[in-house]
Amino acid sequence: MLFKISLSGVKARWKDYLVLFSGMIMASAIFYMFEAIALNNKFVLSTTVGQNAKAVFVFGSILLVMITLVYVFYANNFLMSMRKHDYGLFMMLGAKSKKISSLITLETLVVGLISTVVGTIVGVGLTQLVSGVLVNSLAIPLKYFTPFYLPAVWTTLLLFMVLFVIAGFMNARTFIKTPALQLLRSESLSDWKQPKTSRLVIQAILGIVLLAVGYYAMYDIRHLLVTAIPIGLITIVFGTYFVFNSFFVMLLQWLQRSSFNQKGINSFTIAQLKFRISDYTKILSVVSLLFALALGAITVGVGFQNDIPELANGSNAYAIVNTNPSSKMTKLIDQVDGKTVSNYQQKIAGKTVYYRIDQFKEKPIFYSSFVMKGKDAGTAKVEKSSTTQLANPNSEANRQFKMLQNPTIQGLRVRFVSDATFNQLGQSTNQLQLVRVHDLNGQYHALKAVHAQQKAEMGAQAEALGESFITYTTMKSMFASMEFMGIFLGIAFLAMLASCLMFKILSGADSDKIRFEMLNKIGTRKQTLRKSIRLQILGLFGLPAILGLIDVAFGLQMFIRSGLLYHAYGTFAYSAIGFVVLYLIYFGITVLIYQKIVIPETSTEK
Amino acid sequence: MTEEIVKTQNLRKIYDQHSEKPYEALKGISFTVDKGDFVGIMGASGSGKTTLLNILATLDKPTSGTVEIDGNDVTDLTPNQMSDFRSKKLGFIFQDFNLLETLTASENIALPLSLQNTQSSTIEPRVQQAAATLGIADLLSKYPTQLSGGQKQRVAAARALVSNPSIIFGDEPTGALDSTNARELLETLTHINEQGVSVLLVTHDPFSASFCKRIMFIKDGKIGDEIQAGNRSRNEFYQEILEKLGTFEQ
Repeated sequence: MLFKISLSGVKARWKDYLVLFSGMIMASAIFYMFEAIALNNKFVLSTTVGQNAKAVFVFGSILLVMITLVYVFYANNFLMSMRKHDYGLFMMLGAKSKKISSLITLETLVVGLISTVVGTIVGVGLTQLVSGVLVNSLAIPLKYFTPFYLPAVWTTLLLFMVLFVIAGFMNARTFIKTPALQLLRSESLSDWKQPKTSRLVIQAILGIVLLAVGYYAMYDIRHLLVTAIPIGLITIVFGTYFVFNSFFVMLLQWLQRSSFNQKGINSFTIAQLKFRISDYTKILSVVSLLFALALGAITVGVGFQNDIPELANGSNAYAIVNTNPSSKMTKLIDQVDGKTVSNYQQKIAGKTVYYRIDQFKEKPIFYSSFVMKGKDAGTAKVEKSSTTQLANPNSEANRQFKMLQNPTIQGLRVRFVSDATFNQLGQSTNQLQLVRVHDLNGQYHALKAVHAQQKAEMGAQAEALGESFITYTTMKSMFASMEFMGIFLGIAFLAMLASCLMFKILSGADSDKIRFEMLNKIGTRKQTLRKSIRLQILGLFGLPAILGLIDVAFGLQMFIRSGLLYHAYGTFAYSAIGFVVLYLIYFGITVLIYQKIVIPETSTEK
Repeated sequence: MTEEIVKTQNLRKIYDQHSEKPYEALKGISFTVDKGDFVGIMGASGSGKTTLLNILATLDKPTSGTVEIDGNDVTDLTPNQMSDFRSKKLGFIFQDFNLLETLTASENIALPLSLQNTQSSTIEPRVQQAAATLGIADLLSKYPTQLSGGQKQRVAAARALVSNPSIIFGDEPTGALDSTNARELLETLTHINEQGVSVLLVTHDPFSASFCKRIMFIKDGKIGDEIQAGNRSRNEFYQEILEKLGTFEQ
């Protein structure tokens, strides 16, 4: 009988349960997404970053388990807040606490089981979707990666069920230990305390100082070397916590003293935000750090890719080289846009390759280098080479030029001679065709076809050509899996942190209902109430995001100054925009659901 | 001629009008409240008194009939106009105080003024004045959790008073108070009323009602009876209310 009544309680609050389920489904889906990569050793170890990546994944898994723990804890609190009153009432009416606690344990487990199973299925779907999109748009071939990965399924199911069993027992304990009356009145208890100013000031200063130390450590990685990482991690974690616990609170206190506070319901909005921030310190800190990690993962992952064209151009100025191009090759080259083609005549006699000097004077060829330091760091420097340089076997120009020839003659000496001398040589004339391409990324598919033709004509020797496109493809396959993991994990983490925050905010909505009802009664317009909600939630979403963005902005210095990344800030701008857009979608959904819960329905129809 | 602050004509409210079982909560209620009056509306639960209060307070609209408050017909206002009207013309005191626990007493009291975008330089003195009227000037910087039930209700009363409303509505304002605090609050309301502010209380507590000048009894959606305190002492009036309730409820 009690079971039936409790089931009807679920029906009556199906909207809240929907929020609970969607949150839990997201959590398990994301956990699955992560484990689908992390547990897939074959995939991870097949990548060039292999062993290092494995360590990152172990660390990431631990982090994710911790976040999941917090997440399940919040979700469970939300569930309890919905049920406390009902079950408290049953107990008042004489239901045995044993019976009630077995009911709540059962409910927790059922909610957990359903959401985990559905979540894992959703996770497989999401993995398929995200990896599919990434593989197509980034032209990354993924070996050994499958969206459905059984060990990940088991791990997800196991972890979540264990967590729910723990949660179930914890809930049962709550019901056995707490008197029925307190359960009934639990919602009306408020524990708002005004924090002491001196403590706030000390924490705020400490927070800022710790963050500054952390940022400096990352910036100064050249001196601190590996120690920069633990220093950064510790100081930034604690700095973030203190900044939320005090700095933002003080900022809001300052706003409260300004005349801004007395406009409309600003006083309410600011006070609510202040209350929320100190109540949410831990979760906001976690969200901020995760935001930074996720965005950092994407930025660094994509950043390596973005450096590839310049790195390739720095290896050689010419994307494609052909000796005596076939008609098929010529057609393929015609399809490459934005190119400059130069042709030179070549004769091979003994151990020397001869060229017409006039052709090189008329159309000097280029050699390139990759700038690693200074303000042009990370770009390819392309210079014209004189024939003297080209003829000097010790020069870089000579080395690069030789590599452009067919692999069989790359070891021979090159000489630049007058037309008369060249004509006197009896050997047959070859045509050396050099193609410069301005946009390697954009012409990737056309160039790939050209290179395939080279392989068809020359076999394995095609790989020994000095053309930059080969460097380009080699690096691309090297960094592709990193980019994939960066974006994939970035998105997974983002979804996780945003759902976590959304959940926490929504679980507080119920107790806000009465406040908004009161504000409505004393004559606050609906749009003013909506605006207040938007502002409050914006504060809760925005502050961790801002701090996270700053973290990444400084964190990138670590990669730049250690010479791993060059165009990091360009990438950062793009990835941050994409990231913030996704984050804003979560913000929008949270606002809509919150408004639906707390803004009183108008009963103004006649 | 006395000025009418509330005037209702033939108010009807039908819930679920288009369903199979429409429920008529108000069945044609007409009455007036004069400026400076202190009116009580009494009735058992389900009698329709909360529906009536919600309509008077522009939180709900009648199915038919009109409500005029301070000369304004409030039945045809848009939701925004209703909100603005409430913030300017009406004061509320609720049973459960409804103070915002994240705001200080002073900020709670100032809310209706901020809502009307009153200049911040005038907010402060008006909050002080309302607080002085209710004897809570020394509590202004405290948070609701630091206040007793009686103090909270006086803060709520100050909030209702601060915007100089045409009328203050009380919805069982003493419901959550012990007898000492209840008496104090009612005496304060009487004091406010003596300064010319009209008060309308909805209550089922005869003790609270005995502070009113006039009481209307509502039963099954209709006004059944009405009594005046006249020149009698509060105790005598209280006795009459009890008698009236005895006969009325049967």
